[in-house]
Amino acid sequence: MRRIASIWLPHLASDLAHRHRPDQSGKPLVLITEQANRLFVAAPDALAEASGIAPGQTLADARALASDLAVMSFDPAAVTRALESIAQWCLRYTPATSPVGEDGIFLDLTGCAPLFGGETALLADLVARLERQGFEARASIAGTPGAAWALARFAPGTIAAPGAERAALAGLPVEALRLAPETAATLHQLGLRTIGALYDLSRAALARRFGDELCRRLDQALDRTFEPISPVREVPPWRERRDFAEPLLQPEDVATTLRRLIESLCARLAAEGLGVRGLECLGFRTNGSTAHARIGTSRPSNDPVHLVRLFAEKLSLLDPGDGMDGMVLSPTALDPLASEQPALTRDGTQTGDLAALLDRLANRLGAANVFALAPAESHRPERAQRRVAPGTAVRNLRWPDGMRRPLRLFADPEAIETEIATSEEAPLHFTWRRVRHFVHQAEGPERVAAEWWRDAAPAARETRDYYCVEDEDGCRFWLYRQGTGDASRWYLHGLFA
Amino acid sequence: MTQYAELQVTSNFSFLRGASHPHELVMTAALLGHRAIAITDRNSLAGVVRAHDAARQVGIRLVVGARLDFDDAPSFLCFPTDRAAYGRLSRLITAGRRRVSNTECRLTLDDLLAHQAGQILVTLPPEKPDDAFVRILKDLRTRLGGPLYLAAQHLYRGDDAARVESLAAMANECGLAFVATNDVHYHRPTRRVLQDVLTCIREHCTVDQAGFRLMANAERHLKSPDDMARLFARYPEALAHSVEIAALCRFDLSELRYEYPVDPCPPGLTSQEYLVRESQTGVRQRYPRGIPDKVAKQLAHELDLVAKLGYAPYFLTVYDIVRFARSKAILCQGRGSAANSVICYCLGITAVDPAQSDLLFERFVSAERDEPPDIDVDFEHERREEVIQYVYGKYGREHAGIAATVITYRRRSAIRDVGKALGLSLDMVGALAETVWGMSLDDIDRGQVRALGLDPDAPRLRLALTLASKLLGFPRHLSQHVGGFVITKSLLSEVVPIANAAMAERTFVEWNKDDLDTLGILKIDVLSLGMLTAIRKGFELIERHHGRRLEIASVPQDDAATYDMLCRADSIGVFQVESRAQMSFLPRMKPRCFYDLVIEVAIVRPGPIQGDMVHPYLRRRNKEEEVEFPSPNLKEVLGKTLGVPLFQEQAMRIAIVAAGFTPGEADQLRRAMATFRKAGTIGTFRTKMIEGMVARSYDRGFAERCFSQIEGFGEYGFPESHAASFALLAYVSAWLKCHYPAAFACALLNSQPMGFYAPAQIVRNAKEHGVEIRPVDVNHSLWDCTLEPAASSTGGVALRLGFRQIKGFAEDDARNLVAGRNNAYADPHALWRRAGIGVAALERLAAADALASMGLQRREALWALKGLGEAPPPLFARDDPLAGEPTVALPAMSLGEAVSVDYTTLRLSLKSHPLALLRDGLTTRGVTPAARLATLANGARVRIAGLVLVRQRPGSAKGVIFVTLEDETGVANVIIWPHVFERFRREVMGAVLLIVTGRLQREGIVTHVVADRLEDRSTELRTIATSHETAITHEFTAMVENQRDRRFSSRDFR
Repeated sequence: MRRIASIWLPHLASDLAHRHRPDQSGKPLVLITEQANRLFVAAPDALAEASGIAPGQTLADARALASDLAVMSFDPAAVTRALESIAQWCLRYTPATSPVGEDGIFLDLTGCAPLFGGETALLADLVARLERQGFEARASIAGTPGAAWALARFAPGTIAAPGAERAALAGLPVEALRLAPETAATLHQLGLRTIGALYDLSRAALARRFGDELCRRLDQALDRTFEPISPVREVPPWRERRDFAEPLLQPEDVATTLRRLIESLCARLAAEGLGVRGLECLGFRTNGSTAHARIGTSRPSNDPVHLVRLFAEKLSLLDPGDGMDGMVLSPTALDPLASEQPALTRDGTQTGDLAALLDRLANRLGAANVFALAPAESHRPERAQRRVAPGTAVRNLRWPDGMRRPLRLFADPEAIETEIATSEEAPLHFTWRRVRHFVHQAEGPERVAAEWWRDAAPAARETRDYYCVEDEDGCRFWLYRQGTGDASRWYLHGLFA
Repeated sequence: MTQYAELQVTSNFSFLRGASHPHELVMTAALLGHRAIAITDRNSLAGVVRAHDAARQVGIRLVVGARLDFDDAPSFLCFPTDRAAYGRLSRLITAGRRRVSNTECRLTLDDLLAHQAGQILVTLPPEKPDDAFVRILKDLRTRLGGPLYLAAQHLYRGDDAARVESLAAMANECGLAFVATNDVHYHRPTRRVLQDVLTCIREHCTVDQAGFRLMANAERHLKSPDDMARLFARYPEALAHSVEIAALCRFDLSELRYEYPVDPCPPGLTSQEYLVRESQTGVRQRYPRGIPDKVAKQLAHELDLVAKLGYAPYFLTVYDIVRFARSKAILCQGRGSAANSVICYCLGITAVDPAQSDLLFERFVSAERDEPPDIDVDFEHERREEVIQYVYGKYGREHAGIAATVITYRRRSAIRDVGKALGLSLDMVGALAETVWGMSLDDIDRGQVRALGLDPDAPRLRLALTLASKLLGFPRHLSQHVGGFVITKSLLSEVVPIANAAMAERTFVEWNKDDLDTLGILKIDVLSLGMLTAIRKGFELIERHHGRRLEIASVPQDDAATYDMLCRADSIGVFQVESRAQMSFLPRMKPRCFYDLVIEVAIVRPGPIQGDMVHPYLRRRNKEEEVEFPSPNLKEVLGKTLGVPLFQEQAMRIAIVAAGFTPGEADQLRRAMATFRKAGTIGTFRTKMIEGMVARSYDRGFAERCFSQIEGFGEYGFPESHAASFALLAYVSAWLKCHYPAAFACALLNSQPMGFYAPAQIVRNAKEHGVEIRPVDVNHSLWDCTLEPAASSTGGVALRLGFRQIKGFAEDDARNLVAGRNNAYADPHALWRRAGIGVAALERLAAADALASMGLQRREALWALKGLGEAPPPLFARDDPLAGEPTVALPAMSLGEAVSVDYTTLRLSLKSHPLALLRDGLTTRGVTPAARLATLANGARVRIAGLVLVRQRPGSAKGVIFVTLEDETGVANVIIWPHVFERFRREVMGAVLLIVTGRLQREGIVTHVVADRLEDRSTELRTIATSHETAITHEFTAMVENQRDRRFSSRDFR
């Protein structure tokens, strides 16, 4: 006898959002989408629903209903991913689970329930575990996917005994049959509001009016037609796992295991021509806690030696504590490995060495401290570049030409003493770091106004007049004046080669 | 003193580029001492008239020109030297605009070559002038015959000295003269911030992302000649050339002297003679029993004046259009300043009898001021397009075009665009835009911002609000005016560039009505008015069913029953006086004659309300206050309005009589009225008028009241002639309603959408007047609503609802259905087989309960139709597939469900009112039916419930909100004070069904409930339709949506 459980996660999208933003709990939350310049509610959470907010409303209307509304944008792809991963998690109950629609999961429990103390206990366990993870869940069990789906949504918690589907569904609204909205609407218009009201009508009459959809759904629910469910396979595509009968106690053992995991993964990666951009290692301690370490690489790599070396800095994070009974290693990002031409000269190997060096530096100094500069669009010179990770492709970014900029730009412009002729000319001489320079030639001014939307401090809001000047020794400097008249001050901002 | 004229100026008519209005630029240039200023917008002359107007006022010369951008050449500044060259420039831009369907303009160098005669061209250098540019210049030099210049700008980019020098060398090498410009984008450096925001809006990016798309500094402002001389110290000739160009361009916009198109006159007659002849014929027809002396004298006087000013062709043009409409039986009526003349009455342009009022022709057409008369003609809204195409057809697109409307930034659009540019989150921008009521310039309500959970003092937010208020009034794009036609004798495209409108078959010129007005160019407003459609349809119904032939002019005057009805505020559907504000005013005003209606129409408007003119008028009218005049002179002006100024003409007359304005100045005042809020030139007039009146020993308080009323005219000005035309339609529609309620309601329903009320209220009101209403039925209805004989109904006719009431049912389907009906459709199969309409349409009929004459309820009908499948093409009969099917007993529909579905499919129900079904529960909660309010004492505590019909926050009511509730017994008016609104904002804005607790307030026979508590009971609507859970609420939600759009429009004051 087939037994199917159906899970419904009515607030999956907002539950996910709440998991990411626990600080917002207590406030009603809606996820929104934009259409034709208007914002609509895509998914309200339970609290928002309680204030009368429904999907499809405009955000403005929703705000009128709940003034303390928290708002986030709706990411349907993330919801789909989450549903898939919950379906995988459900594999603990049965080898066959399948996501349905946007917010449901089927579990084929045939023969599985006794392992969990019976269907009632299984259902309670399932719902409780999901709720503990932060997902509101409703579930039911019946002999067909259709009936289980209907019950989960319209009579959650029901376990319909084998063959009792007909009676169990009779009182449910026709929507419970998974009908197209128009079909359901027409049935309502006809006053045929419950599934039971359809039982007595002739199939021919129904088929004439509603095509085969209605009859098929009815048959599926009542077990007159077999409806397969297409189970997800647990595919841990690039994942290495070791479980230990005897928990590991020594850090060295952890390191050894990690090395084996890396070697094993790298062997598989090499066969496929792939490399990792990041690795994550999880260690499951016997006390239920999880140890966690991750590394990143600047270029795809499947070199076990390199990867092991990168982890060396992080081993302390994988402390076995009272004992570790399992370890999992998985890539956080995969890329095809650029097959490198074996170098003919010694120089040719340098890129590889540089990449490895950069990775080691980054892992030791922290990723934020190893960077390259890329152009950024700003008229303010100090903002005209930004830090990027080494190796980031900056193909489409070009330094604007036509602007004369010094090779070396000081992070903090240095105040200089000058004597000025008129308000729009370069100084005749200036003193920088106690040395006086006589201006031999000057070009300018280049006038750069403040970025009014960004600079709040009054001094920062002043316009600057930049001059390129050359002193009598042929050294070239980049000076600017800030402020006007007597209040003007001069700074040296950079040096040309 | 340095001589300089700025020649490269981008105003905000280069949309989303320039950050100053043309008048700001012109005035600043005058202040800085420029010799002249050009406005050179991109491929456009849209801003030049405003600049011209400002230049005339401040006494600087405007060089008319444009910046031309080409697909295959560098950009040029183009300055026509004379009228002919101007015509060529205008034609050139027209060519570029007509070529593309969107708002762009595509030009090639060939276009320029074809139109170059008489133009002075200034080449604009690219970012990096290089050798390629030199080659282009040399080539241009050989191909362009006229004077050619190269412009250079000091950009403050650091390399300016070198750049200007190389440009000077290039000019020299290629034989071009060299001219300095400053590529001005705003009049003052402080506008740079706004210019950055405009750039972001144009580029669809935030200011953080904009990067190099923004300008590096604030130097693109108007600079003084001395500053320019300093920047171009090495090139004095570059400045001299700017003055030289300005001097060469002698063209002035005032040369576009207007010539009226001459309609063909009968042979041997001049247009004046023809006008005289037609007027004489007309006047004899209008007054068959003899022409009153006054009229004869006035007509002679008017004709004399018209002859003197040469306006005969204008009147004949309007006459021709009106005659065309009449020949097609399209109802029309003229209004506007010149409309209420005896000439117009005689020519049939208007129907307001000048013998009944004394409208002074000179007030708008005077020998002293040389400006065209103004006549607007309203046509039936459904048939106006015929008239428009007639005008195009008659004069041709080369001579006739529609005026532009300059779409400007309003509060909502400004906040939305600025918010996006500053990178505020979408929901924050949306929320801010939502808090805006109307278009007032008041600061945004900080409390409201806080209520949204936003901090009004957060820097970005504050910045956004400040910038948004600066953006207000900036032109955003051009669109076509609703019906203002420009007709010219010469080629229109040589007067003003013409562009394609978004609507097919329409073209419009770049200037709007004010611009055309400034230049004295003729325009005729061909407008549409729903009420004219309704009146014409009403007349037709009355002729068909009652055998009485009517025209606007032949409707009996001074009908006591009609005035009695209006005094009772029984005015749903009546033109102009059906709004809630008018309805509450009618019983106080108690109109008894036509002129009372003229006042009624004019007085319930923001001008008089803001000027506090309403209550004094009422007190005087009700003899509670002495009618006195500040001076005998004013008695003449204000006599007929009991000493209270109500009309635009009176404001002007006061200015002349009491404040010593010349007629010319008074006219300027009138023009300023229309643009007060935009231009802010109000101050000078205010002082002049108030001090002028005080000096002539008028009371200062009175003077200030007079002036504040004139200010109120700014947006809602209403001259007496308009009021008279509208009052006539109000009277005619009231008369129809009073004597032929069924025909009137039928005509209103068949003219939807129009007016203030939805079909449900019109139907209900007709029912209250004893009209039997019959449901839509496949065997009885037509597309339009119809009248059917019915002895028991008022007037012996019942109103049969038409298929047009069924939501989503197409007119073509209705036609097919009626064509296939023969005698009747006996059963669903016959309908399915013969009607020739799709299955979806058939199901709509079933859902609308339109098969009742076959003895089928809507469920049975739907079941049957569903079973038949897709309908066959007509003539191909098929056997009834349902013949052998066993009958099915579908559950019966409850009344609640039926009403709910009625609302869903028809937007109204003849079966019951939703509130009637909830009445028991409401009674136990102490809710009083609306009809019983009249029996309660003033000041009583009451609780009422109803569907929200209308919610309004008129600009003149200082934040007070008016809500109209409807229950099964009638409507109730609720007043919500601002402090109550703040507490119950959500209920007021969101509820479909409201319960209001408050105090009864009665004034005369008008009763309001002043709310102190509101409850949103919208969910109860679900309980009456347990079945169709969402249907009714959806329908009502749609109603609310409509109203939400309305709440900003202050429809009280149309």
